[in-house]
Amino acid sequence: MPTLTYLQAISSALRDELRADDRVLLMGEDIGVFGGAFKVTDGFVDEFGTDRVMDTPLAESGIIGTAIGAAVVGMRPVCEMQFSDFISCGFDQLVNVAGKMHYRQGLAVPLVVRLPSGGGFSGGPFHSQNPEAWFMHSPGIKVVAPSTAEDAKGLLHAAIHDPNPVCYMEHKHLYRRVKGEVPSGVFETPFTARVAQPGSDLVVIAYGAMVPVALEAVSDGLDGASVEVLDLRSLVPLDEEAILDSVERCSKVVIVDEANATCAAGAQVAALIAEKGFESLDGPVVRVATPDVPIPFSPPLEQAVLPGVDRVREACRELLAY
Amino acid sequence: MATHMAEPAAGGADTAIEHLTIEDRIWLLRAMLLMRGLEERAMSLYRQGRVPGSFYDGYGQEAVSAGAAFAMGPKDRLCILHRDLAAHLIRGVTPARILSQYMGRAGGITRGRDGNVHFGDRKLGCVGMVSMLPDMMLVATGMAMAFKLRGEKRCAMTWFGDGSTSRGDFHEAMNWAGVQKLPVVFVLENNQYAYSTPLDKQFAVDPVERAAAYGFVGVTVDGNDVEAMFEAGRAARERALAGDGPTLIEAVTMRMHGHAAHDDMKYVPKEQVEEWRKRDPIERQEARLRSAGVDIDALRASIKAEIDAAAEEALAGPMPDPATAVDGVFCEGEAEPLGDGHAPWSGFASNGGDV
Amino acid sequence: MSSSPTDVLVDVTMPQMGVSVAEGTVVGWRVEPGDRIEAEATIAEISTDKIDTEVPSPTSGVVAEILVPIGETVEVGTVLARIATGGNGVRQSPAADKPQPLDGGDAGPAATETPSPTSPQRPAATNGDRRYSPVVQRIAAEHGIDLSQVPGTGRGGRVRKQDVLAFVEAAPAEEPPLHTESPYRPEPVAPAAAVAPAPVVDGGLSRMRRQIGQHMKRSLDTAATCTTWIEVDMARVQSARTRLGVTALAFVSRACIDAIREHPAMNAWLEGDRYTRHADVNLGIAVSLGDDGLIVPVIPRAHELSVEGLAARIKDIAGRARSRQLTPDDVQGGTFTITNPGQYGSIMATPIINQPQVAILDFEAVIKRAVVVTDADGNDSIAIRPMTILGLSWDHRALDGAVAARFLASVKRNLESVS
Repeated sequence: MPTLTYLQAISSALRDELRADDRVLLMGEDIGVFGGAFKVTDGFVDEFGTDRVMDTPLAESGIIGTAIGAAVVGMRPVCEMQFSDFISCGFDQLVNVAGKMHYRQGLAVPLVVRLPSGGGFSGGPFHSQNPEAWFMHSPGIKVVAPSTAEDAKGLLHAAIHDPNPVCYMEHKHLYRRVKGEVPSGVFETPFTARVAQPGSDLVVIAYGAMVPVALEAVSDGLDGASVEVLDLRSLVPLDEEAILDSVERCSKVVIVDEANATCAAGAQVAALIAEKGFESLDGPVVRVATPDVPIPFSPPLEQAVLPGVDRVREACRELLAY
Repeated sequence: MATHMAEPAAGGADTAIEHLTIEDRIWLLRAMLLMRGLEERAMSLYRQGRVPGSFYDGYGQEAVSAGAAFAMGPKDRLCILHRDLAAHLIRGVTPARILSQYMGRAGGITRGRDGNVHFGDRKLGCVGMVSMLPDMMLVATGMAMAFKLRGEKRCAMTWFGDGSTSRGDFHEAMNWAGVQKLPVVFVLENNQYAYSTPLDKQFAVDPVERAAAYGFVGVTVDGNDVEAMFEAGRAARERALAGDGPTLIEAVTMRMHGHAAHDDMKYVPKEQVEEWRKRDPIERQEARLRSAGVDIDALRASIKAEIDAAAEEALAGPMPDPATAVDGVFCEGEAEPLGDGHAPWSGFASNGGDV
Repeated sequence: MSSSPTDVLVDVTMPQMGVSVAEGTVVGWRVEPGDRIEAEATIAEISTDKIDTEVPSPTSGVVAEILVPIGETVEVGTVLARIATGGNGVRQSPAADKPQPLDGGDAGPAATETPSPTSPQRPAATNGDRRYSPVVQRIAAEHGIDLSQVPGTGRGGRVRKQDVLAFVEAAPAEEPPLHTESPYRPEPVAPAAAVAPAPVVDGGLSRMRRQIGQHMKRSLDTAATCTTWIEVDMARVQSARTRLGVTALAFVSRACIDAIREHPAMNAWLEGDRYTRHADVNLGIAVSLGDDGLIVPVIPRAHELSVEGLAARIKDIAGRARSRQLTPDDVQGGTFTITNPGQYGSIMATPIINQPQVAILDFEAVIKRAVVVTDADGNDSIAIRPMTILGLSWDHRALDGAVAARFLASVKRNLESVS
């Protein structure tokens, strides 16, 4: 089995889908001739042509809106927002047209929106966001967030096969830093959570770039405690069963969010645990999240707000001792 | 800067005659009569408290949708807006289902999930509108994009109003369609008002001129002449299928009722309303057909009977089951694309229906 | 002309002219009572915040009454007038499909229900300064642990989940006997090895013990409890159970169920003045939880089970009771109870009735005895037979000694004729 980076895994999924299914169409700014801002589609035009790897005008609403049109006449468009932050320009089309269409009209919109997300490299307020919560809150849209190379490929295949609009949160920080064995060919990862590391005294629940942060934070054993790390992988649908199972066994929970704390995905997980996992709790549900600020540019400021290994470790220690 | 007011361009109807049989011309009148009759009946039901929410109609601008939609083939796709009921009727949506839809019944096209004209029968190739009106322009552009990518001889048609031309999606759609030279027909229903906002508060340039700015043809048409509207739609479709790109059709008309049933349009000068009443699209088509020997009274009677039967059927239908309120947010099976609609124009029959 | 009693009356209601409009004012009537009107013709004029408009008649007929005069403002949906249509039947009102108000109304199917706690017996959530988390309370309840006895190693001396689990594990690991067998034990149990005197226990009773005690006391205070005994020859049962590989208790259960068919008064509830006889036999089987107490799980519809079926169910519920896996449903709905503490050789008892039932059967040890048997010719002799004494406690408020005795006789007959 080949070892690929997270980014190569995404490319691999896109390439395999373009080969396997005539209906698949990639749309985005600078993805064709230039190969993409992050080189995800580097070389694609040579194999698939400029029609199927489309360089669009600079128009996020246009990209999402036309993709919806293409989707309802039998294509499988995979749109890219160059940075997830720019989805706000296409918010209306995604939430009001795509998200609500099946409920209202019984018309499926098989659309994928790739959203390169997250900070940690001085991208500043408009190139560092994690906007998944906006779309978890919008009925009719699924949201997935891989943290490993294998899941990056499998979830993207599954998203493209899904007949509904899917936001695919690919984390920029993981593009080249995460490597792993990735099966070749087309395969699907289900929209469920995954136990990244089993444990019994406490569970850290995370997704995306916060999964490697969590694994590192608990890697030195934390004074002999047995800590579980649960990788959510799918935010809509949220794997309630897996979350509640971890909570029942571990009874102590730390949730890590790189997104701004208020109403982040982790807030929904915390609410779920309070409502359905109450009987299993041996301590308050703790959240480690970015405070409600635009992501700052200068490194000391940015590092101070994004959840790092030390903050997560400290939160685990305190809760274990409670 | 002069703004383009209510002066429709002449012509269009003469060329139309070449392409319309007498049956076609009667069909056009039927579609308008059915639209107006249904909307009047629905308004009455609204005043009886049987139609929840708001009620919108296209009184006085029936020709815009009837004419343009009549030029669309079975494989073409439509994004229909709230004053374009005739387009739904031409595609094959039945009057009973429309009245059920207005009354929020289980038998409506959206089964109670969306109201009034926010519907589109996907099996007949119609996409249901959203309230952010010009959004649909991008969807139509996207459909046209797919047709072009696949080399198919089909087009997409989308309706929108003068107000929509101020929003970003109008510009993104026009630009995209122009840059990619897509087979899409943009039908701008310039009915003089966006709710209470008149044209001179909406744009500084007549929007038909914007077509040139985006690289394609824009034409102004008498929106109250159903045969001229048909001809404009037919020509635009021909252009699209020939690979010559989009067309913007500015249909000049007048919204004769308020923005919605709850709006008495006091902001419209009485003289303007009176002037446009003389140009009523139904009266004009009736006059044409009378001089061609058609029995208008019989036609009207059959329309009324059809509407009465539809109302009876709709009123007998059940309300939706509350237990189903949270169903259907996601598609659980295969994604089915839009289906084909009816296309009663004789021009399609003579071409084997596959134009 | 007034409407006749067989007329259908159709309501004319104030319409909602716009989503935010809540009321309207009648400014004109085009008709008077007695006037004929056609459907769709204008019947009234109204004025609202948004618009003045006309109201068309919903039907053809004769105006029966006008309810709202000119100038009066009423809420959307108010009946303004009624029209008699001359048909027979129920009065019609468009209010049947009147739009619901936009705010208010039910929460709807999507509202989540608040979960209710499943464990009925809970130690106190706080003990002085100590608070116990949900999982700690649950574990303590399941094991009948008094949390005030548990040392805490959490912050500020808090009892953590690990602490209460450690406490459970450190407790004596002796397996409580399954309260279901009554094997034959003719010899007395060997005396226990000399041990140091048991330490004085001075800390009060556990919560579970107290609850059981309350239930027992209440039963004795409520019922007029009497006990009747009968001797049963268990020879046939012994050979059948060896053959089938099932417990004697299963045979006794089946025998009781069959006897209940003949004596339905034994299968009833008496709650205050309310007396209910049950058709189903939901059989409770008492299971000991060792020193911690007693619980009575119920086999619902036990009458549908054969002896083998009963044996399997008894084994299942006893196992689940001991491993604390019973649900609240498992201990509800019993109509008759059997207690079987015969393990140690005791021969008789005066069991306490399980409220609100009216009877309980006690099945003690089966002991070989010398008894008089009579052969077919009427000759007596002494034989050695495995005998047991069945005791039935019963509530004299609900039945008499004769009924109890007849019931026991049926049980005896059933057991002595097992094939």
